Amino acid sequence: MQNRLRYILSVVVLVLAVYGCKKVINVDLNNVAAQIVIEGNITNLAPPYEVRVSKTVNFSASNVYPPVTGAIVKITDSTTGKTYQLNETDSGTYTTSAFNGTPRHRYDLLVIAGGQQYKATSTMPRNVALDSITFAENTDFNNNKDINAVVNFLDPVGPGNYYQFTETVNRRPIPNIFVFEDRLSDGKYIQQPLFNDSSYLQKGDTLQLNMYCIDQGIYNYFFTLMNVTGNNNFQSATPANPNTNISNGALGYFSAHTVNRIRLKVY
Amino acid sequence: MKNYLYNAASLQRLSIILLISLLTGSINGQAQSQFTVNGTVRDKRSGEVLIGATLYLKEAPRSGITSNSYGFYSISAAPGNYTLIASFTGYRPDTIPITLTRNILLPIELGAGGDQLTEVVVSARKKNDNVTKPLMGVQKLTTSEIQNVPVLFGEKDVLKTIQLLPGIQSAGDGNSGFYVRGGGADQNLILLDEATVYNPSHLLGFFSTFNSDAIKDITVYKGGMPAEYGGRLSSVVDIKMNDGNNKDYHFGGGIGLISTRLSAEGPIVKDRGSFSISARRTYADVFLKLSSDSSVSSNSLYFYDLNVKGNYKIDDRNRVYLSGYFGRDNLGFGNTFGIDYGNATGTARWNHIFNSRLFSNTSLIYSYYNYKIRINSDNNDINITSDIRDLDLKEDLQYYVNADNKINFGFSAIHHTISPGIISATKASSYNSLALQNKYSLENAVYISHEYSPGDKVHFDYGLRATAFSVFGPGYFYTYDSLGNTIDSAHYNTGQVVKTYFNLEPRLSASFQVNEASSFKVAYNRNVQVLHLLSNSTSANPTDLWLPSSNNVKPGLADQLSLGYYRNFRNNQYEFSSEVYYKKLQNQIDYRNGAELIANENVESQLLFGKGRAYGLELFFKKKVGKLTGWISYTLSRTELKIDGVNSNNWYPAKQDRTHDISLVGIYQASKKWTLSATWVYYTGNAVTFPSGKYTVLGQTAFYYTERNGYRMPAYHRMDVAATLQGKKTKKFESSWTFSVYNLYGRENAYSIVFQNDPNDPTKTQALQYALFRFIPSVTYNFKF
Repeated sequence: MQNRLRYILSVVVLVLAVYGCKKVINVDLNNVAAQIVIEGNITNLAPPYEVRVSKTVNFSASNVYPPVTGAIVKITDSTTGKTYQLNETDSGTYTTSAFNGTPRHRYDLLVIAGGQQYKATSTMPRNVALDSITFAENTDFNNNKDINAVVNFLDPVGPGNYYQFTETVNRRPIPNIFVFEDRLSDGKYIQQPLFNDSSYLQKGDTLQLNMYCIDQGIYNYFFTLMNVTGNNNFQSATPANPNTNISNGALGYFSAHTVNRIRLKVY
Repeated sequence: MKNYLYNAASLQRLSIILLISLLTGSINGQAQSQFTVNGTVRDKRSGEVLIGATLYLKEAPRSGITSNSYGFYSISAAPGNYTLIASFTGYRPDTIPITLTRNILLPIELGAGGDQLTEVVVSARKKNDNVTKPLMGVQKLTTSEIQNVPVLFGEKDVLKTIQLLPGIQSAGDGNSGFYVRGGGADQNLILLDEATVYNPSHLLGFFSTFNSDAIKDITVYKGGMPAEYGGRLSSVVDIKMNDGNNKDYHFGGGIGLISTRLSAEGPIVKDRGSFSISARRTYADVFLKLSSDSSVSSNSLYFYDLNVKGNYKIDDRNRVYLSGYFGRDNLGFGNTFGIDYGNATGTARWNHIFNSRLFSNTSLIYSYYNYKIRINSDNNDINITSDIRDLDLKEDLQYYVNADNKINFGFSAIHHTISPGIISATKASSYNSLALQNKYSLENAVYISHEYSPGDKVHFDYGLRATAFSVFGPGYFYTYDSLGNTIDSAHYNTGQVVKTYFNLEPRLSASFQVNEASSFKVAYNRNVQVLHLLSNSTSANPTDLWLPSSNNVKPGLADQLSLGYYRNFRNNQYEFSSEVYYKKLQNQIDYRNGAELIANENVESQLLFGKGRAYGLELFFKKKVGKLTGWISYTLSRTELKIDGVNSNNWYPAKQDRTHDISLVGIYQASKKWTLSATWVYYTGNAVTFPSGKYTVLGQTAFYYTERNGYRMPAYHRMDVAATLQGKKTKKFESSWTFSVYNLYGRENAYSIVFQNDPNDPTKTQALQYALFRFIPSVTYNFKF
């Protein structure tokens, strides 16, 4: 809700800004030493599970992120006490199929690269079922009618449930981050439209929508990442790196989450 | 309740003790052998009181004083024959022979206009108040200066105009917020007839809440605040509304590009009382029409406001005033989303003249701000409301002891009730209804100050303000660890004190006159701020939340030392001043990354604390008379913060850290009909955080940030021009046309810089600059009859 509010207020300013003007400019940005970026996911779906390790590049460089090869990557299921080492199946991509991700299990990640150790912990929450997806037409500030997917599910009673949503339209991922917490919605039947920055859904499109049940650390990560991307980028007074659950200054996240997946045609 | 009463009673006792201790000794002794002339200074035609008129006895030059906020003056001298001279900028001075063999009541009426030159000659002696008075860091604007300075959409705006003065920095295009000597936008106490205005902006900051038709006088204190003011760290903006004409009825108005204004004034009972009403409404959705070719019927974007004031003289010693403001913004987004918000203030005042030397004003003040958000989408039917409500009892006394001594003393007790948020949702909604607990607090203060002139060349104004701020139950109060996790909670009952903060705020200013035309000044003051505005977006959002100090949040403290050199040239036709200041700030607030400020019972857990420092040099040169008037102001400054948990605990530049800031204002009276004016501003871009690197998450580009506010926005500069054509002026009717262009040379000033993937080349990223207004012409028609 607060995101929606902030979004709308920023759109008002954005409309004015567009009436003014926008242009691409050159900003002289500093170069920085490459930082390590870790992106790891474990789900309740069948393996393989993947951890990608890469590096940052300077702003002026191409969007090509050098993989970190030869790292040692291990995942421990703290509930069973078993540790699994991941194999580098592609440059900088480490995978395992040695176990099945299980809700309520705690997973610890260890990455050793460049002589440094990076650790993260994530607990896979119990799954909350996604009932259905419906569509709603909302009028935006320019009076365009946008189609938004609406996720429908029952939030279990008790605080501390966090959700993440991703959309793929005609196999093309929508570059928006959606997270939702039940802080103000505990135990409610949730019917939440996923507002896009711009109109991406058209009637007849094939939409694949994932709902993840994530833990609090991952919610914080994506919530703070969302604050510095998309339209929120416009309003955030002091952008900062998202709150990661990985130690030792690494960027990125390690998420153990459940997956609910629905594929349907937009109507 | 018992606690409140106890607090108010102890305040009174303390103020009396302070007064007695100050009045003993030499001051009392001298006062016996003198007589006093006192009264009120008014405009001859309208009966409007004149604030800050200069009065003195020609035979006793040191007797000079200025009339107070209610036009009251009092001058004492030994028995004898004198000539009283009264003058006020833009008015013909008056010379009145008086015989002081007893106390005299002498109301004075000054006529407007007159030959500027004679005025200078006759009253030259007292045209150098800026040099002689110990007041430092004070800026005053007259309504005529405000009327002639060009502004966006031709909408006269006092808060925009004061930003052209040294040390007062604009928060940028589309933002009526301002920064004074490095302080944040929430560190300015904005008073409208003594009532705090909590949100001084309309339309998300594009306009201020002050309708210039309703305003008589505006004074800005940047340093050396008099002891009667308190509650904010950086500045006081004291705005006084018109009292209204007490002789005839008049109507006026204006039709502009985005708003229409109407006003009426007149006597309630001739020469005894008057009223003044001003109203303004913007035309709906002008931005939307400009910005989009599609229909905008279902969206709304407008504001209106209303200023009302009345006063009535009961007898020569008693006058009552009632004033009120009501304003509302309405912003609707189809039928799915709407927000309306606004301030309401009310002030009831009673002026009482105890005797010819003791003036009293008692005020009962109400101040209110609220917002209401409506969300209607599909199943979600939600209202969110929040408000802040103040009730303030304030007493100010001014004791004109003799020519060399004046004592100001009084107290104020403000009861704050803050409702941080109530969510009402229907059963089918995805959200629960929720009411955050109200926050109750009491802000008490007593003060006393002494204006003392031991000789012709030296003037002191020193005083002390003692404040006590208490937070009360009912409610749960939490304590947090350094990570923001709740570690304890305790319940307090109604009226039970949770925490009290006592503070002493010394205020001292002194002036040392070198000669008729130049002086040095020094000032030190401490200010305390107990209410903090929580806002973590770039523009002023109506939903920004006021948070009282508490068991977790300490009151902010600011200590400021300033030194100044004042010099007038050519018979006081030109004013020059330079001031340097150093300000130390304690208990400053910042936010954790991703702080949840909305509808959060534990909002205090989202805060980080630290300190700040600000220092700078301000130069100001003003030409006051002649066909061409105006000023040049320059500020060189630095503002830094050090917050635990931000920027690796290192000092970093505050957003408003602005190395250079220049304003040029020129107003040219080309002929009887035409007035031309122009302003030019230039300032260093705000300190901002830009990414230094990038990486990929979820297959998208994410940016890597290093130091906080390590980059700069591009420098800002802009020129505005205006021309006013005075129509035929008859006794019954006058009118004028004002034509203006905002941003004359179309500079694209960066409003925001966004970093994103290049839409034309997905392998690249780019920086996109948004600019707001270029060449905004406007025309306004004003009339009066």
